[in-house]
Amino acid sequence: MARRREMKLSNRKGLCLWMTAAMLLLCGLTVFAQAPAPAQAAPAPAPSGPASAMDAPLDIKAAAPPSADDMAKGDPGGTKTGTVSDVVAADTKKGLTLADVVNQAGQNRVAINFVWTLITGFLVMFMQAGFAVVETGLCRAKNANHTMMMNFMVYGFGLFAYWVCGFAIQMGSAGPYGTLGGGGAGLGGEFAINLFGKSFGLWGTHGFFLTHGGAYDVAAMVMFLFQMVFMDTALTIVTGAAAERWKYIAFCVASVFMGAFTYPLYANWAWGGGWLSTLGSNFGLGHGYADFAGSGVVHAVGGVTALAVAIMIGPRIGKYTRTGKPNAMPGHDITWVLTGCFILAFGWFGFNPGSTLAASGNGALRISSIAVNTMLAGCTGSFGAILYMWIRYGKPDASMSGNGLLAGLVAITAPSGFVNTIGATIIGFIAGILVCVSVEFIERVLKVDDPVGAISVHGTNGLWGVISVGLFADGTSNYGGSWNGVNGSVTGLFYGDAGQLVAQLIGVGTLVGFVFTFSYVANWIIDIVIGQRVSARDELAGLDIPEMGALGYPEFVLKPELEVEPAMAAGD
Amino acid sequence: MKIVGILLALIGWLIPILALSMTQSTGARFIACLIGIAVSLIGILGVLNKAHLEHAIWKRG
Repeated sequence: MARRREMKLSNRKGLCLWMTAAMLLLCGLTVFAQAPAPAQAAPAPAPSGPASAMDAPLDIKAAAPPSADDMAKGDPGGTKTGTVSDVVAADTKKGLTLADVVNQAGQNRVAINFVWTLITGFLVMFMQAGFAVVETGLCRAKNANHTMMMNFMVYGFGLFAYWVCGFAIQMGSAGPYGTLGGGGAGLGGEFAINLFGKSFGLWGTHGFFLTHGGAYDVAAMVMFLFQMVFMDTALTIVTGAAAERWKYIAFCVASVFMGAFTYPLYANWAWGGGWLSTLGSNFGLGHGYADFAGSGVVHAVGGVTALAVAIMIGPRIGKYTRTGKPNAMPGHDITWVLTGCFILAFGWFGFNPGSTLAASGNGALRISSIAVNTMLAGCTGSFGAILYMWIRYGKPDASMSGNGLLAGLVAITAPSGFVNTIGATIIGFIAGILVCVSVEFIERVLKVDDPVGAISVHGTNGLWGVISVGLFADGTSNYGGSWNGVNGSVTGLFYGDAGQLVAQLIGVGTLVGFVFTFSYVANWIIDIVIGQRVSARDELAGLDIPEMGALGYPEFVLKPELEVEPAMAAGD
Repeated sequence: MKIVGILLALIGWLIPILALSMTQSTGARFIACLIGIAVSLIGILGVLNKAHLEHAIWKRG
């Protein structure tokens, strides 16, 4: 009987893996079914006739470049390094022309934006380390390897799925990228339907495997890297809410699905030219759904998916008494938790300021304001949480202070590019209180077990961040003169535009109504096919050995498990 | 009940979208959004979650 059951389970796992493989194959076929990318427009012909001023050789001696002898003496003051001598001539025989200098200026601007976007992307990538240690620290020692390995491998699973089709679905219609030199121009295909006489963009159709439809392009590579690390942030949120009881194989399949479809779909609607971003141009709702760096796209998508999975797999054994009263299940390492919070706060300076995709031109110098807003909101978030806990429970709770910092950062992510410092401070403070109230509500009223508070930090405050754009955006930002194709600056209700708030609320409704449902149904199918939850025996033993085959802390003596009802321990 | 909860969540999402074509008034669209979000939340937290809690692990035995 047991053997038959094992075989059945094995067949189900095999079926699931086949389904995943078929899904990826389908994406591959889609690539080859598409029409070839349009040929790049030929460059404008050079003006004929007598040499224009642009082509005339320049007398570079007039710019007084340092001589070889000067340079040989060294440049301790930094005044001789980087002069006209460093501008490369297109035709060395002809010498340097004004056209060379102008082209160099343009390439320098794009290079600054490339480097800025890439480096901020690297910072966001490092946030994975922060999430890993925060979540592991908040879990019990017997699950350390399992929790760490979920956070580790979500990077690879997410990246692979996003490369296959996620990027194409999200950004396959978002080219060309203005701040990145107009690259990615071939990424211009959006599948759209006509509704109420307006076009509703649903998903991109170019850029599968990063090779098709003009995706083999230096600017597209920059965009892929930056968007990929955002996507991975959303995926790793789910592992926190489902920690200590999520079957590893189910986590693998769910992560691939989310990286391939759930995240890219909503991200397309918000950032890839989809229907949420056109609510302004189509229906006169402000500038359409505005989410500067992803309170909604990244954090709320991760948070509502985390809620769907946490509801489905149920609470950990011992979390609730038979009367439904919650038991505290403290994490094993608060030093890891707070260290991880600092790593995340550091990475957030990539998350928000990097979302300008530029440091030069188009109002991109607002990166300083965005960075300060980020800093302030995180700070007031931790203030709000520590005050709430201190007043309510008499002690400044460490883990909730950390969650308050993260809640403030999550909430400021969407409005960071549109609000002033007063707005950022208020948004962060409210987020800090909100995360405490939300954790209590989810644990005590909903009886949903969320070991790390991911649903409250990312879900609740992600939604708050989206709403706060519609309230606090002060109308002073200017990223190239328009946003989502609507001229002028994003302006919230407090500064005179009620339509912007409605656009934001439609985004919130989509996150709660559509993204939750989509995630729930996908995870329901995974649950039916391979099962989402580990057995009670494995859960009580700790998931390190049964699921991963090795302990996180092999030389430590772990405290014995809580006493639980025998029936619970026996039931699968 | 799980299906009912999911359907309510979806219906809640459709309410503000339908309101886009039914009215030009920002106030009416605002109210439609609030109603839609409330319906979705009732579906998720009030119906779907409750259906799962009926068989919660801590109620067994």
